[in-house]
Order: sequence, then C-alpha cells, then structure tokens
Amino acid sequence: MKKMVEAMQEKRKAWLMMLLIVAFVLGACGSGSGSSGGQQSSSPSPSASAPAAGGEPAAGGEKVTIDYWYWVDDAQNDTIAQLIEKFNAEHPNIEVKGRLIPFNEFQQTLINAYASNDLPDASRFKDWWVGQFANNDLLEPLDGYIQNLDYKGDIDEPFWKTGKTADPNSPVYMMPHQYITFYLYYRKDLFEQAGLNPPATFDDFLNAAIKLTDPAKGQYGFAYRGGGGGQDQWYAFLLAGGARMLDENGNVIINNAKGVEANQWYLDLVTRHKVAPPTAASDSYAQILAGFQAGTTAMMAHHIGSYETLYQTHGDKLGVVPIPQADPNNPATMGTMTGNVLYKSSGHKDAAWTFLAWLSGPEATDILSKSTNGQLPVLKSLTDKPEYRERNEGWKVALESEKFAITWPPFEGVGKIAGSVWKENNDLALFGQITSQQMMDAIAKALTE
Amino acid sequence: MSKRVPWSRILLWTLLGLWLVFALGPYVWMLLTSLKERTELFTMPVRYLPQNWTLESYKALLGQTDFLRFMRNSLIVAGSSMITTLLLAVPAGFTLSRHEYRGKPLILSLLISSQFFPSILLVLGLYPIMRELGLLQNLLGLVIVYAAFVTPFTIWLIKGFFDGVPREIDEAAKIDGCNEVRMIWHVHLPVIVPGIVAAASYIVIYAWNEFLFAVTFASSVRTNTVPVGLKTFIGDFVMRWDLLTAGGVMAAIPILVFFMLIQRRLISGLTSGAVKS
Amino acid sequence: MNGTLKAHGNTAAWSRFLKRYGKFLYLLPAAVWIVGVVGYPVTRAFFFSFFDYNPLRADRAFVGLENYVRILQDPVFRKAMINSAVWTFGCVFFQVVFGLIGAILLNQRFRGRGGIRGLTLIPWATPSVLAAMMWMWILDGNYGLLNDVLKRIGLIDLPIPWFSQTTTALPALMLIDVWQGIPFFAVMLLAALQQVPGDLLEAAKLDGAGAWRSFWSVVFPLITPTLLITTVLRIVWTASYMDLMMVVTQGGPAYATLTIPLSAYYTAYSELAFGEAMAKATVQALLLLLFVLVYLRLFRRRGAVDIE
Repeated sequence: MKKMVEAMQEKRKAWLMMLLIVAFVLGACGSGSGSSGGQQSSSPSPSASAPAAGGEPAAGGEKVTIDYWYWVDDAQNDTIAQLIEKFNAEHPNIEVKGRLIPFNEFQQTLINAYASNDLPDASRFKDWWVGQFANNDLLEPLDGYIQNLDYKGDIDEPFWKTGKTADPNSPVYMMPHQYITFYLYYRKDLFEQAGLNPPATFDDFLNAAIKLTDPAKGQYGFAYRGGGGGQDQWYAFLLAGGARMLDENGNVIINNAKGVEANQWYLDLVTRHKVAPPTAASDSYAQILAGFQAGTTAMMAHHIGSYETLYQTHGDKLGVVPIPQADPNNPATMGTMTGNVLYKSSGHKDAAWTFLAWLSGPEATDILSKSTNGQLPVLKSLTDKPEYRERNEGWKVALESEKFAITWPPFEGVGKIAGSVWKENNDLALFGQITSQQMMDAIAKALTE
Repeated sequence: MSKRVPWSRILLWTLLGLWLVFALGPYVWMLLTSLKERTELFTMPVRYLPQNWTLESYKALLGQTDFLRFMRNSLIVAGSSMITTLLLAVPAGFTLSRHEYRGKPLILSLLISSQFFPSILLVLGLYPIMRELGLLQNLLGLVIVYAAFVTPFTIWLIKGFFDGVPREIDEAAKIDGCNEVRMIWHVHLPVIVPGIVAAASYIVIYAWNEFLFAVTFASSVRTNTVPVGLKTFIGDFVMRWDLLTAGGVMAAIPILVFFMLIQRRLISGLTSGAVKS
Repeated sequence: MNGTLKAHGNTAAWSRFLKRYGKFLYLLPAAVWIVGVVGYPVTRAFFFSFFDYNPLRADRAFVGLENYVRILQDPVFRKAMINSAVWTFGCVFFQVVFGLIGAILLNQRFRGRGGIRGLTLIPWATPSVLAAMMWMWILDGNYGLLNDVLKRIGLIDLPIPWFSQTTTALPALMLIDVWQGIPFFAVMLLAALQQVPGDLLEAAKLDGAGAWRSFWSVVFPLITPTLLITTVLRIVWTASYMDLMMVVTQGGPAYATLTIPLSAYYTAYSELAFGEAMAKATVQALLLLLFVLVYLRLFRRRGAVDIE
C-alpha cells in the first residue's frame, strides 16, 4: 500500500516539475520576443523604454527609439498603430514604439509614470490636461519646432490656443490634431410626426423636448448625461445659454448671474420639466447612446465621433443641427482638442518631434480622420476639401460649429473638474442639496485654485 | 421499489437551479448579445433572442483584435502565479501551523497588511521598483507582483488546512521514520489537497481578473492581459459591445475548463481513511 | 580519527542550528518576497500621508497630521466611511450566507456535479469591468432585464432607475458584488467541508442525529476556522474594492456610493492631492488592522482559530 502511495507521489512530483518548467519557459518567452503589428519586441529585461535623460546619440545612421503612448476610441481599427507602422517604414532612422492605454486610465497612467521617471517621449493628449501638465513643467514648449513646420499656416490660431496655458506669453505645448465640436442629434421622424421644426433656439428645444416626452411610453425628449464625462455636454449648453468661463481679461466669471441662470436652465430639464429619462443622474455615454439608438430619447448632444454609429442605426431619420442657442445672434458651442505633446524628460526630442510633425501632417491626419477613430482635422487644407465638407450631415454641422466653438479654459483646475468636481456638484444640484449658485461657485473655485 | 423522488432531492435541484439562473443569467444575456448583429444591439422593447444569429462578433474579435494574445498572456501569468505562490505559501503555511513563534497574531496580521490598502495607492510606490528592475511591460513582472499580493491569503488558507490535520498523523509519520519535509510531501499534502485546490482557484482567478497592475505595468499590445484588452474595447465614445460580449464569453472558457479539471481533487485524503493507518 | 570526530561535531552543530532556526527557512522565501515587493509601497503610502504632495510637482511639504484632521472633519469623507461600512459588511454577510448554502449543495452527490461546480464559479472569474457592464444593462433603468421582469409580473408600473436614486444605488452595486463573491465562499467552504472526516459523520448518525443536528454539531465547528479566515479576508478586500463604483456610478449619485478607497482615488488623481489621499487610505488601513486584531483575539479565545 505504501509503495503504491509512494509511486503516486513520485508521479505527481514529476508532473509538478514539468508544469514548473513549462510555466517558467512560457513566462520567459512571453516576456521575450513576440511580434505584433509594427511593434518590435523588447529584450527580456531590462525594459527597452528610452531612458529619462541622456540617451543614445542619434548619430547618422544610428536608430533612435521613441516611446509614444496613445489611446484609440475604436479598438477594432487601431488606426494609430497602422500609422506608426507606416512611419517606421518610411523613416529607417527612427523607430516609434506605440503603447495603447485605455482612455479612462490614460491620465492616471501618465501621472504614475511621471512619479517614477518613466514618462514616454511623446503621447496623445487632451486639452483638459494641458494646464496641469504644463504648469508643472512636464511638457516641452513646441514653438521652436513649429516655426519650421511647413504646414503651420494650415492651422488656425484658435486651434493653436488650445495647446497653450492661461499665461498670455505661453508657448504652444500641445500640437493640435483632432478637434471635436458639440452639436445636437435629433430624430427627424419624431419631430415631423409632432409637427416640430428642427430646434434652433432654447425655446424650440424645450418646447420640442416637452412635446416628445411621454413617461408612460418610456419616451423622453432629451438624453441628459449626468454620469461621468457629462461635463463637456454641460459646458456646451452653458455656452449656448450665454455663460462664459472667462472674461476678456482671463478672470473666471462662470459663477456670475448669467452662469447661474444658464446652469439652472440645464438643471431644470431634469428637475422641473422632466424631459430626461429618470436615469439621467447616472447616465454616461454608453447609456445616452443606447437610449438614442433605441428610441428612448428624441435628442442627444454629442459630436462627430458618434455619427457613423448613429447613422447605421437611424439612417435618414437622423438629423443634426448646431446646439440650440439662447441668443441665436451670439452662438456658442463647446469644442475640445485632442493633440500630441512632447515631454521635457525625453532624451530624443528631435526624433520625437519628427514623428509628431508627420503624425499631425496632412497625409497622416487624412488617414486618421477618415477612419472610425477620426475626428475633425485641424488642417484647413483638409477641411476645405469637399470630401470633408460634404461628407455627411454630421461633418457639415460639425465644421460649421467650429466657427463659434469655445474650449475649456487652459487652467490646471480643468483636470479636477473633468475628474470629479463637475459630477459631484451636478449630482448635489440635481437632488436639490445645493443651489445652482453654490454649484457654480464650486466650479469657479476649482478653476482658480 | 418506489419511484418517488425524495423531497431532499427536489430541494437540491430547485436550489441548484435557482443558483445557476442567478449565477449564469448575466452570462447567458452576454452570450445572446454576442450572437446578435451590431444593429440589433439596442432595441425597445427589450428583445432577448437575436433576430439574426451571427458569429460576426467573434470573427471581429479573433480576426481583428489581439484577443487571443491577451488570453495567452493571461494564461501564462495565471499559471506562473499559481505555481510560484503555492511554492511560497505551502511551506510558510506549514511552519505557521506546526511551529512555535512569538507574536504569531502580529505576524499573521502583518502578512496581510498589504491588503489593507487599495492597490491604486500602492501603484505609485511600486512603479519605481518595477522600473529599476526592468520589470515593466513584462509578464514576469506581473507574476512577481501578483505572487506578492496573493501569497498572504494563501498562507492563511493553507495554514488553516494544515491546522485541520490532526497531530497524531505527525506522530505516526515520525514513528514511520519520515523527516519533516517527507512528512509534508507524502502525508500532509494528500490530505490537504482540497485546500490546495481552493488556493489554486483563488490565485488563478485573481491573476485572471486583475486589472490595475496589468494596465499600469504591462499594458503594451504584446503584454496585455484579458481585463486590459477588454477595457480597450471601451473608448471615449465608441463602445464595442460586440467585442466586449464576445470577449467576455471567451474569457470565461479557460476558467471553466480549469476548474472542472481540478474540482475532482476536492476530495481529501482524510475522508479516504489516511487517519486509520 | 580526529577528522571523523570533527565531522561528527559539525553535523551535530548543523542539526542543532536547523532544529532551532530551521522553521524560519520555511517562512523566509514568502516573507522576503512579500516584504520586498509590498513593503516599500506600503511604507511609502503611510509616509506620504503626512505630506502635502502633488504628484506632478517635485516638492512636498511636511504637514504632520493636517491631512488627517482635514479629512476627519469633512462631512463627505464621513459619509464615505459610513458607505464603506455598509458596503463591506453588507456584501460579505450575504456572500457568506449564500456561499455556505452553495458549498453544502455542491458537496452533495449528483449527476453533472463537476460541470455544475465549474459553472457556478463563473461570476467569481469575471473581470470586474465585464461584471459591471453586464449588470449595468440588467439593472438599466429604461430597458433592463430586471425592470422588464418586474413589470411583467406586475410588481411595478414604471421601471426603477436603480443607479440614479440615492436610495437604491448602493444596494444595486452590492447585488453585483454579492453575485461575484458567492462562488468564492462556495469554493473555500466546499474545500473545508471535504476535510470533515467521514467516520465522524457516521458516528453522529449512529447516535441518532438528523441531518440538521449533525451539521451544526459536527460539521460546522470543523469548518469554522476556514470560514473565519475567508470571512475576515473577504472583509478586508471588499473594503478596498472599488471597481464597480468607479465604472457604474463614479461615486454618485450625490455621494451615495462613495466609499473610502474611491474617495482616496479621486483625491489622488483628480485633485492631485496624494498626501491627503494616502491619509484616507491609511485611516481605512488602521481601522482594518484594528478589526483584524480584535477578530483574531476574539476567536482565539473560542479556540476556533488556531494561532498558537
């Protein structure tokens, strides 16, 4: 009996040994070479990311490696990875290693990386974060590089501004790339049925929303986004309502009477007129998109990024108009910029800039903007082309709205607002625990701190 | 012989049925969604069954994303973590069970003190270490971190199972001439196999689901694990439900297989009469 | 002759050393590994709680206990502490109860047991982003499955917006966590049930004990150690588990689902006040440490947890 048990144990020992060996071999292999589209493998260890300071000199013929971090909105078409491959093929001296990070973790990953001296050479970036990062001296000023850019005249001044800080003498820190303006989707068929015209003013909007709301049928006028990320839409409506974050001198005025009034109007949609689904306070992008697709809501505010998806669902029933205005003679909507930045800690700034310049150039931008990951190119030469202007309703309205789009002010506090302050205060206001004035005061405070 | 089913059987099957519905309901929903066409995803009123059954989600998932690589990475990390942790935790559990130590409660509490902090706040402190050791963008680095985080509980668990082995068995083994190591290997282990299986399940599942360290330390296309990969299907304004649901269904399969294989070992040596001899 | 004597002496010395310190060798690899990886981050976190630290700046100012004072006076943080307590103990309680029932069920003999055991494990094996997504749709306030079912049964007229009401948001999240956690306890307790010697149960039956009594007087005491270990650890983890709140409600609506770790997260990455964030985390850590120590002492006296 003991012999049998011992035999069993020996067999098990052998299995364990084999498993161990296999596991560690696989583990070593897994961390060693492996190929993927366009990205070279790193050596087993240490990691091959560019050192923080003083890297290899880019002597003629020497290959320089650049780390570039980015996110994509549509994971199925990793357009940026393809662009990186293209660049690497066309530039034998430079090898760009891309790292894909989910958008929701992007900023926090950058912060963690900075704290460990592990920032990449360059990365994709949002205008929300320019204030935070530039004021703490993490970003490389790009003016010197931009001067020599052959297509620099192709980009309008307002776009360059999104990459600057509040300092009047601020250099450009973020190379503008893809722009988004907020507009309004509406259901043409539902509006026709109710005998309504496409909404152009706040009154039109409210009127239509009330008419198209029928809780018993589970139908509502407007997809109010009260969940995380809703601050962009909120800002768009506040601007359309006549409120402004800053005055001409750069002072924060968002909590003045106009701001409070506009904010109250937006809150009233949920609390007083009840034209939004009862889930408004927690609805994030996924929910408002689903709601509009399913026909639960008749209007939804968003941008060009969702046009394709919604067109697939609604086809010709999909209508697009600029955000309705309180004062149609002084229109305003919200715009936000996605661009690229160079980090001060990079050891290969010139090479990294070569990549960024190429990426933001007409050829690469054209490819990106036409993909499912694309947004509005900042290059006039592209947007003037009929293939962009006439591409579809969404593009037309989006490009039109550029004329009166205003972005978030370049303050450090914007990151805070986008991160948690807006949602927290909006919630309290929706539930009547604070007033509109108190909410706007909190927002103003976050901006000025 | 009466064919009446005893009420205890009915109760058993009813409870099991309810449990399965509750546990698997969301998965069934996810499975059905993964078989729908993209245009069908959101409709009012709620439709459960697909109008047009299709495998296009899976085709997109397997053909156009790196999901299979994500699965492979997760398997490697989970397997290596399991083996490493068991090698660390079994001896530690044994000694804490059978040997004397001053201040055992303190040792035990300190062991799990890393669990008192949310890992998001430990990342900042861990990052420089990983960087210095070249363990970033590296599956080995993840295994090292995971092992450090799961070993404490595994030690507690294994210790508990060792405690459950009567000391008489130790005596009997010593009389038989076993030294300590041989005793553990030949006598104790067969008896605490269920504990090892439970620990193994815990470790594998932890590694399989873990997101934060994976995204911070190993999120390149080459080293992404399943949770990170799934998160990339959620963009700023594009939600790929088709990829998410198809990916979710596929990610469950290895775990299912793994557990079905090892659950047979949830039979202790104790019940098979090791005590008697 | 001298050589042999010397060799003999060495072996004796060696075996004496082993006898006294050998036990540490069992513990050493694990201890070194854990301390090596986790020691620095944990001490660093604790250390930073006494500073004013913006991660994007190089400087940090020592502020002593200021962070702690500020957060303990903050009504939002106090709410977070209450939410954390409700969340932690509520989730674990239901997980334990249903997990125990589940373990007993899975311990019975029936056809397809292997497959069913595997299937019940699935919720535990689900990445939290997926679990959150699945349940977000099941509990959706407009066309979620649950509302649909409740409507058809006639229990409600209008669908309930589970995540948008301050009263139902936290319970809804707890439902998801309980769904995830039941298999954990089922597996752990099933393993513990396997340790119960068959002959003890035989003896009880011979003594005339029914299934109910033999469970409580024979089985339950034997699985208590595992039960206590898994419960205390599950409590510790659940306290820090914030994935669901982050994905589904972002701590809302109106702080209804804000727990301590989530609050610390926003303080760290949104407000860039790492020192304050670490203070929040340390408050939780100290409370948990206290809890664990008390727990161990309490149950040691009852002889249920063998820590001597």
